[in-house]
Amino acid sequence: MIEHPAILNDVTLCIGCEECVAACKRTHGLALEDQAPREGASPDGLNATRWTSVVRLPNHANVRKQCRHCADPACVSACPVGALQKTPEGPVVYDKSKCMGCRYCMMSCPFGIPRYDWGSLTPSVRKCVMCYDELRSGRLDRPACVSACPAKATAFGTRAEMLAEAGRRIAERPKLYLPRIWGVDEVGGTSVLYVSHVDLAMLGWRPPSVLGDKPLPERTWDALRQVPFEFFGMGALMTGVWWIIDRRQRLAGGTGPGDESPGRGAAGSASGSADAAGKGEPS
Amino acid sequence: MSRRVRIAKTILWTLLGLAAGVSVVRFTRGLGATTALTDATPWGLWIGFDVMGGVALAAGGFVVAALGHIFHRPRYHHAIRPAILSALLGYGAVVVGLIYDLGLPWNIWHLTIFWNPRSPLFEVGWCVMLYLAVLVLEFAPVFLERTRFQRAYRALLRLQLPLIVAGISLSTLHQSSLGTLILIMPFRVPALWYTPLLPELFFVTAICLGLSVVIFESTVTSWLYRRTPETDMVAGLARLAAWGLAFQFALRLGDLVARGAWRQALAWNRDAFLFGTEILLSTFVPLALFAVPRLRQRAGAMMTGALSSIVGFLLYRVNVSGLAQVDFTGSHYFPSWTEFAVSFGIVAGASLAFLWIQEHVPVDPDALDQASALKRLQLFELPRMGDLRVWLGDPSFGTRRAYSLAFTVAMAVGLTLTPWQPLLQATPLARARGGDVLLVGFPSGTVSFPHAKHVARLGPKSCSTCHHAVKPGDTGTPCAECHADLYLPTRIFEHETHVEALGFNASCAKCHVAGRPQSSDQVRACSACHPVATPVSPWATRYASDTADGYRVVAHRLCIGCHKREAGKLVPPKPNLPRCANCHRTTTVHERAVEPVTPTGPPVTSS
Repeated sequence: MIEHPAILNDVTLCIGCEECVAACKRTHGLALEDQAPREGASPDGLNATRWTSVVRLPNHANVRKQCRHCADPACVSACPVGALQKTPEGPVVYDKSKCMGCRYCMMSCPFGIPRYDWGSLTPSVRKCVMCYDELRSGRLDRPACVSACPAKATAFGTRAEMLAEAGRRIAERPKLYLPRIWGVDEVGGTSVLYVSHVDLAMLGWRPPSVLGDKPLPERTWDALRQVPFEFFGMGALMTGVWWIIDRRQRLAGGTGPGDESPGRGAAGSASGSADAAGKGEPS
Repeated sequence: MSRRVRIAKTILWTLLGLAAGVSVVRFTRGLGATTALTDATPWGLWIGFDVMGGVALAAGGFVVAALGHIFHRPRYHHAIRPAILSALLGYGAVVVGLIYDLGLPWNIWHLTIFWNPRSPLFEVGWCVMLYLAVLVLEFAPVFLERTRFQRAYRALLRLQLPLIVAGISLSTLHQSSLGTLILIMPFRVPALWYTPLLPELFFVTAICLGLSVVIFESTVTSWLYRRTPETDMVAGLARLAAWGLAFQFALRLGDLVARGAWRQALAWNRDAFLFGTEILLSTFVPLALFAVPRLRQRAGAMMTGALSSIVGFLLYRVNVSGLAQVDFTGSHYFPSWTEFAVSFGIVAGASLAFLWIQEHVPVDPDALDQASALKRLQLFELPRMGDLRVWLGDPSFGTRRAYSLAFTVAMAVGLTLTPWQPLLQATPLARARGGDVLLVGFPSGTVSFPHAKHVARLGPKSCSTCHHAVKPGDTGTPCAECHADLYLPTRIFEHETHVEALGFNASCAKCHVAGRPQSSDQVRACSACHPVATPVSPWATRYASDTADGYRVVAHRLCIGCHKREAGKLVPPKPNLPRCANCHRTTTVHERAVEPVTPTGPPVTSS
C-alpha cells in the first residue's frame, strides 16, 4: 500500500450518481437500505450504513461527503481507549473491540463525519476507512469509491500527487475553479482534498477564525500537558498549607489540632480557630 | 418519621420507579429508543447533566475537606462527612449515568487497559476512578468505626491526610479537564462559551458549586428532619461562596471582554438568553443573598441562593456540552422525556441512599446520640427469624409499603410509555405509500391530503397524474394543478363548511371581497387564512410544500427502490437496471455493461 494515500474530490466533475456509495456499501457489506434518520434530525447524507454520500446543493453542484482522514485527527486524540487509530500509512480506522461507545469522537470531529448505530443494542461508530484493509491486503488497488466513479470525479494517489493534480486542474481552468484546494492546511491538513467551483463551507470547512490551521488535538494537549504539574503542584500546595497552619496552631494553642481524623479534629481550641479564621480565604 | 420525610421519599421513590421502567427499555432496545440524540448531537442530557453536572455537584466533597482539614476550619468539620458522603454518592451517580449513556457500557473497564493519554476523556476517566477509590477510603472509617475491624480503621485514619490531599489534587485535575474536553470543539461551541480558559473556569465554578451544594444539603436536611440549622457553618460557607462567585464572575467577564465576545451576550437570540439565564441564576441571585451578612443567618435565603447557584452552574455545563451547540451546529436536539426520567431517577436514587445512610449510619457523630446510632447499626447484620417479627411490627412498615407502591406504579407507567422502537424518522413517502394521510402545511396541519383516497379514486396506474414533470425543471405538481376551480369535480374547497364556520351570509365578504368581480380567481387566497406554505419549524419542511413531488424526485426515491429489488429477480438478471449511471454518465452505456466495475487505468485521470 502506498504511503500517505489521498483522495481528490473534484466537485466540478461529480454527476451525483452515487455509484461511489453503492461501491462503498458493497465493499464493506453495509445494508443497502439506508438507516432512517433520527427523529428530529435533518438528514445530512451520511448514516451508519452510508459512509460516503453526495450532497446536492441548490445550484446543482454535487459534493461528495466522506471522512477527511486528517493528518492529526481530532477523533483519534479524543478516543479515551484508542479505538480510533491513525494508521502508519494514513487512513483513520476503527476497532470496535476497544470502543466503549462514549461518542467523544463524534463530538470532536470538525467535519461531523462519524455516525452511530442508534437503532442497535451493540452500536458501533461508523465512518469511511479509506478501504484500509482492502488496500493493505492488495484486494483493491484503489478505494472502491474511486474505482466506481463513472465521471472520474474522484481520484486516488499519494497526497503529493493529488496536491499536484489539484493544482494542475485549477491552473488549467482558472475560470471554472475557485483558487483554493480544501484540505491542504485546515486543521493541520487532511488526506481527502477538494477542488470546486462552489464554496464548500457546508462540508464543515469552517472559516479559519473558527477552525484554524492548527491541529485540533493541540488545543486539548496544551491543557493536558499541565496535568502532572497540576497534580503534584496542588498536592504540594495543600500539604504546605496544612503544615503551616497546623504548626501555627500548635505553637499558638498548644493543643493538638493536628489530629486529622474526620469529626474529631473539630476539637481545635478556640484560639486555634480564631487563628485559622484570620487567614486569607482559600479561592 | 416526619411527614416531610415521608412525602420527600415517596416522590423520590416515584422518580426512581419511572427511571427503572425506562431502564428496561434502555438496556434491551438501546440508545435509539430512549434518547433524542442524533449524529449531529451525540451528547445530550445524560452527559451534560448526569456526568458533567454530577461531577461538579460532587465538588462539595473536596472543597469542604480542604476547608476542614487543610485550612483547619473547625466549624466545617461537621460538614466534612456529609460532604464526602454526597461526593461518594455523586460519583456513584456519575458512573451510573455513564453506564446509561455509553453505547457499549460493558466495555467501560477498557479505560484501564487501553490507554490514550492524549485524550482528555482518558484523563477524566482515570481521575474519576481514582477519586472514587479515594472517597471510599475517606468514608470507610464511618462504617468501620464501631466494627471489630479496628486495625483497618486506625490505618485508614492515619492515611486521612494523604488521602485528602490526593482527593483535592485529583478533583482539581478532572474538574478542570471536563472543560478541556470542550476545547477540541471550537466549531461546536459559540464564542460566548468557547475560551482557552474553559478548564480554569470549570474548576473555579466547581468550587462555587461545591460550596452551594453543601449549603443546600445542610439546610435541606435540617428542614427535612427538623434539626437545628447549622447556621454558623452555612454562613461561613456562604461567605466563601460569595467570594468565589465574585471571582469566577470577574474571570468570565474579563475573558469575554478580552476576547471581544461580550457583544454576543447583549444580542437578542437564544444563546444570549441561555447565557443571561445562566449568569443570573449562577451568579447574581446567589451573590445577592450570600454577600449580605444578615441574610447568611437565614436558612431560607441560603437554601434559595444555593439552589439558584446549583441550577445556574448546571446550566453552564449543559450549555457548554450541548444546549448552546444546538443552534451553532444547525442541529435540533431536545432531550426526550425518557432522558429526563433517567436523569431525575439517578438523582433520586442517590438522594435516597444519602438519606438512608444519614438515618442509619452515624455520619455526623455529634448529631446522633451514641445509643441510637448503635441500635441502628444492627441493620447491617442479617435479620434472623426472630428479628422478622420486629421488622414486620415496625411502624415504618406501612410507609415502606407506600414507597413500594409508588415505585411499582411509576415503573409500570415508565415501562408503558417508553417507546420500544428506535425513534427513527418516517419519510413522507413511506407514509404516502402506506396509504396514510399526509398533512400539508404540518404542523399547523390546516390541510390533510388523503393519499390513499386519491390513489383509490384515480386508479392504480395514476401515479403519473400527479408525479410527473409538469414543465422542464419543475420539481413538483401543485395541488392547484387539479383543484383549480371550485366548480369542477376536482374541487377540494368545501364551500358549505366555510360558510357554516364563518357565520353564514354575514361572512361572504370575508372571502369574496367587495368591489371585485365575483369569480373564483378574485376571492381571497386560501393562504391568507391557511398559511400552509410557511414551514413553522425546520424539521417540518418535508411537509411544508403543498405540492406533489415531481417526476425526478419520485423516480429517484420511489422507482429506484423497485428497480433495485427487481434487478436481481429478472431472468437473465439485469444488474444495471437500478444504476444511476444508466442516465447520469459521461461514458456510454456499452462501456458500462460489464458488472461489477473493476478498477482500471492509472489512479489519476482528468476528464
